[in-house]
Amino acid sequence: MGPPIDKSIFSSYTKKDGLFDEVFKNNGDVKSVYQKLLDLYGSRTIEDYVNLNTKAKSSFFNQGITFQVYGDEHSQEKIFPFDLFPRIISKEEWDIIEKGAIQRNIALNHFLWDVYHEKKIVKDKIVPLELLSSSPNYLHQMMGVDPPNGIYNHISGTDIIKHSDGNYYVLEDNIRCPSGVSYVICNRTALKRALFGVFNHYKTYSVTNYAENLLNLLETAKPQGVDTPVCVVITPGRFNSAYYEHSYLAKAMGVELVEGRDLFVENDFVYMKTTQGPVRVDVVYRRIDDLFIDPMEFHPDSTLGVPGLFAAYKKGNVTIANAPGTGVADDKAIYTYMPDIIKYYLNEEPILKNVHTYHCSRPDELKYVLDNIKDLVIKPVDEAGGYGISIGNRLTKAEIDTVKEEIKAAPRKYVAQPIMSLSVHPTYIDQKESFEQRHIDLRTFTVLGKDEQFVLKGGLTRVALKEGNLIVNSSQGGGSKDTWVLKE
Amino acid sequence: MLYDYEIDYDTQNSYEKGLDAAFWQFLVIPEENETQELTYWHFENDLGEKNSVSINGLGFTTVQVRANRIIDHIKFNAHFKLTKKEINPYDFDLPLDVAEERALLNSIEFKTDNEPYLRKTKFTILKEHHSNIYTFKDELSIFQNLTELNTWAFGHLYFKTGVTDVNTSLDEIIENRHGVCQDFTHLFCAIAKHHGVPTRYVSGYLHQGNGFFGDSQMHAWAEAFVPNVGWIGFDPTNNLLANHNHIKVCHGKDYTDCAPLKGVVYTQGKNETKYTVMVKAAQQQQQQ
Repeated sequence: MGPPIDKSIFSSYTKKDGLFDEVFKNNGDVKSVYQKLLDLYGSRTIEDYVNLNTKAKSSFFNQGITFQVYGDEHSQEKIFPFDLFPRIISKEEWDIIEKGAIQRNIALNHFLWDVYHEKKIVKDKIVPLELLSSSPNYLHQMMGVDPPNGIYNHISGTDIIKHSDGNYYVLEDNIRCPSGVSYVICNRTALKRALFGVFNHYKTYSVTNYAENLLNLLETAKPQGVDTPVCVVITPGRFNSAYYEHSYLAKAMGVELVEGRDLFVENDFVYMKTTQGPVRVDVVYRRIDDLFIDPMEFHPDSTLGVPGLFAAYKKGNVTIANAPGTGVADDKAIYTYMPDIIKYYLNEEPILKNVHTYHCSRPDELKYVLDNIKDLVIKPVDEAGGYGISIGNRLTKAEIDTVKEEIKAAPRKYVAQPIMSLSVHPTYIDQKESFEQRHIDLRTFTVLGKDEQFVLKGGLTRVALKEGNLIVNSSQGGGSKDTWVLKE
Repeated sequence: MLYDYEIDYDTQNSYEKGLDAAFWQFLVIPEENETQELTYWHFENDLGEKNSVSINGLGFTTVQVRANRIIDHIKFNAHFKLTKKEINPYDFDLPLDVAEERALLNSIEFKTDNEPYLRKTKFTILKEHHSNIYTFKDELSIFQNLTELNTWAFGHLYFKTGVTDVNTSLDEIIENRHGVCQDFTHLFCAIAKHHGVPTRYVSGYLHQGNGFFGDSQMHAWAEAFVPNVGWIGFDPTNNLLANHNHIKVCHGKDYTDCAPLKGVVYTQGKNETKYTVMVKAAQQQQQQ
């Protein structure tokens, strides 16, 4: 026995009060950008949808689009849960996101240049010195180094949410090795296969040009004197959670995917071992964190990187993207200064808002955090992937005490933010065979070049699949949706 | 006076199970600076591999050797000739008064410009319960305080080899009161940084005069930044200011930045490292 045949897909969709629904207005009407989509879906039943969803899923399996979760003893590859019901962003809203992301990432690049050169922002007492000197990613070795074209954060992942007030807020700046872009492209492919008849009713920007833009950027960042640069993608290896993405990007750009031991350095030049002998490498797109790129300079016992790579970089013989040392700005404590950083370098108001953040390193704010922990999200400043986050109103009394002790033991390690109500989107829930509201965010991808910037017109809409959950990271059981940015 | 030195650095590393790829980086070349001039250098490894010269992240010259075949050891030798100028460590004026000096140290410009060498690293951080182990005297200048600290550190630790290694924490060193030159130096750096004085770890060679510690091995001492004077070398292992017998290779935030040999070897088994250093004074010449 299957589900009832004539059940239309939104028949059991319930809207909770106080949540910002991306598709439905408060009075239950459909928002204009979704109207056409709802009309098209309207004639479908849940059963049709289930069939399509199953097809799309198997397409992910067949393409090998998987990821791994850390900290799970029986860790195995999973497919990234994908929801066929897309998120649509109007041209007007996208313009704000795009301008805001570019503004932010250009400001971050100015910040990085400054903290590795004159450090004016510190001397002018905008950003405290402590914040830099206590960051393991503030690399002494990068002091005074001029990266090619003056760019540090070639690739940035800006995480944006829509709050219940209808405004977009930036939640995080990921400028070490932001991942997820391969899912954007694969989601689009899967959706187009399953629902072409729906997709072609909208004028949506393509997302498949990302790899081309990225390669173009990497090539223009080539060292001086190189004509046609050889680019590679360096991965920590197949046990990394984003390995699929590393291999996807290498393939899509038509460059080699390498691990540290596939490269070597001689006389400050970097070479790739090949069956035809060594081939000089000019640009390394690194998907390895700052402190692992070269054991001669950073973590000495790491074999993920390439010994001698940093000296070759400093000499100007190879470009590394993102530049080493970029990680210092990918710190949730630096995030809190972003509005000031934007004003300081660009003399502009931030286009995208920041979520108010309390620094546990400041005694008065620490007190507020400890007293109001129930209404706050506590985040470690240096973790990625949603690890180590505590949401105050989900904690038991005992858990609150533990978290308080942890904060008191290392205040610099934590920041706190009010619990933001992420907007919700109708999402198909397998177990219930129906659509329900689930919280979503948006990871955007910005590429900074010498004189041009590019924001991928789409981005990864991440869905917290557990009911009421606010953490959307794939490593925390999140899923994703295709994101359509409209041309008009 | 000019002093001529010859230095030999010899190392042998053997690998029980052999290895199929390796990369070694030697940070053993004396730097060129106002008081040191390198007149000759020669490197040799018994693998017949190239010795490539490279500049590391902090600007010091290294020698890199790469092996890409199965081997079970490497012998490496470096030979240097060097001329060193006489240094009178007291040859400067102390122009600032004590209060002005303190104010400078506390200014955000000073702290920002000298940030890396005020950074408390794993080996140069004083734990809370040791933070008062040595206190600077308000009435003394920075230089005088550093000189007294140098003497204090010399007296606080007993020079003893074999009880500490590169992983021994400063905590243990303070409590057990034994150590070698690198431990004396970390202790000095930690306390000076704790008092807001930028301090760096120096690795180099010591020409052994009479009964000083540090010959036959690489030596370590500290350089501290004295306002309006510059970096001054303090050797707490010997209760000395650095002089013409101190031949500098490099400096860094602590030992980690200055390790004479760093390597990446792809092997399963144990490895054994031996090295010796010989510093000979060739002759002394009158400065022209």
